[in-house]
Amino acid sequence: MRKPREVRLTILAAVALSMTSCRTQHRDCVDAQGHLQPDSACQAGGGTGGYHYVYGGSSGGHVGDYVLGGSTTPRGGFGGIGGDGGGDDSAGGE
Amino acid sequence: MRRRALTPRSDWQKRVEKIGLTYHTLADGTPYWDESAYWEFSTREIDRLEAATNEIQRLALAAGDVILNQDRLAQMGIPAAAHAAVRAAWNAEPPALYGRLDLAYDGDTIKLLEYNADTPTGLVEAAVAQWYWLQDCFPNSDQFNSTHERLLAKWKDLKDYTTSPVYFADGGSEEDRMTTAYLEDTAQQAGIKTLHIRMQQIGWDAKHAAFFDLDNHVIGTLFKLYPWEWLLSEPFGPQALSTLPPTSPLREYGPRKDRRTWGSTLWIEPIWKMIWSNKALLAILWELNTGHELLLPAYLDGPRELTTYVRKPFFGREGQGIAVIRDGNLIEGTPGSATADHCVCQALASMANDSGKTAVFGSWLIDGESAGMGIRESKGLITNNTSSFVPHLFR
Repeated sequence: MRKPREVRLTILAAVALSMTSCRTQHRDCVDAQGHLQPDSACQAGGGTGGYHYVYGGSSGGHVGDYVLGGSTTPRGGFGGIGGDGGGDDSAGGE
Repeated sequence: MRRRALTPRSDWQKRVEKIGLTYHTLADGTPYWDESAYWEFSTREIDRLEAATNEIQRLALAAGDVILNQDRLAQMGIPAAAHAAVRAAWNAEPPALYGRLDLAYDGDTIKLLEYNADTPTGLVEAAVAQWYWLQDCFPNSDQFNSTHERLLAKWKDLKDYTTSPVYFADGGSEEDRMTTAYLEDTAQQAGIKTLHIRMQQIGWDAKHAAFFDLDNHVIGTLFKLYPWEWLLSEPFGPQALSTLPPTSPLREYGPRKDRRTWGSTLWIEPIWKMIWSNKALLAILWELNTGHELLLPAYLDGPRELTTYVRKPFFGREGQGIAVIRDGNLIEGTPGSATADHCVCQALASMANDSGKTAVFGSWLIDGESAGMGIRESKGLITNNTSSFVPHLFR
């Protein structure tokens, strides 16, 4: 017999039930004082003028709101290749 | 071996979803998990497939040494910036988990089509879904499938190598997510604490020269279902290389070794898998073992004497960029120059064909040993992401 006697599953079944459980994280462009700015300010600034991204913070969503929490650790340096037709998802398996 | 028709279980969708195969149906409504048929083998046929898998693994190990000794990484299209890291990892043997050989088998000859050594998927189907199918439909039959218990055993071995938690990352597609969830499951059952993260969520902290999770904890051990050639070509590629250990020949991996010399991230699969997951390997294997019964003639400098062959890009995935040429004419796949750089030309194999479907036999290796099989069927000769998965048994 080559097959196992048992294939017990724990988190696989749970993930199958909840495919939306992945944490997603957005980024906010803020000025040097941590106030929300249009995304274009960070893109145009290229890291100058005090504009920078905060990842995973929260705010009221309006320009000028203070962004609470989050991190300045750059993210998004992986995961840009591939795609399976579903948004920005990458399919690296084969 | 033969393909037999079968009435699917009435609630098969619900059954396979419950065990992780949520991607059982293709976008056009046709089943990806296809239990309207199954493949039946004899014990002798399974023994042959198992022995072939272990023999090809032996050939691949020997080829890896030659590739490095002859300095052939550039010929394989591996970026120069990664050469030292690939060489160091090969010599130091950091932990590696799994791989899948794709085999052509017509009931007589077995031939290697390719080695998916870095990011193989189809694991939930092969290890889990077809095992549950067998319990429901043929509980007294056997299956070439010890994948689950071998994964558990390997994670138990790796427990002393890894930092805690072990992170499992993928690009976010449903199939990849369920594959990492399954591997996470097996790691947890082996006593390893795990966390999932998407590749896009990984952060880089220049001050600590390390990758960080969403809560700004260092990612010390990362299983990534994401190809090395993609990692290296992305913005964090140089950082990924910087987390690998320096190229000291004295470094050793092991449960009681000094982990500080391993670099800030232990990557699973290791970077040396770029050698085996690269289709240039097929030509190098043939060059080193010309005439071997498990190999097809394959060349890096064009088709040579072959008039009927398959042209494969070194880094193609899921059938991308593959062309099938018969008597000099393209009969399936992507047009392109037969002598294009970074392509291998491999003789067309004799494949199992039944009911208008061509079958490819994906032979799994866990910890370098044969561990089970999953079968993909296609209407044409190229296996791609719409090829269906058909279960199997043997008696």
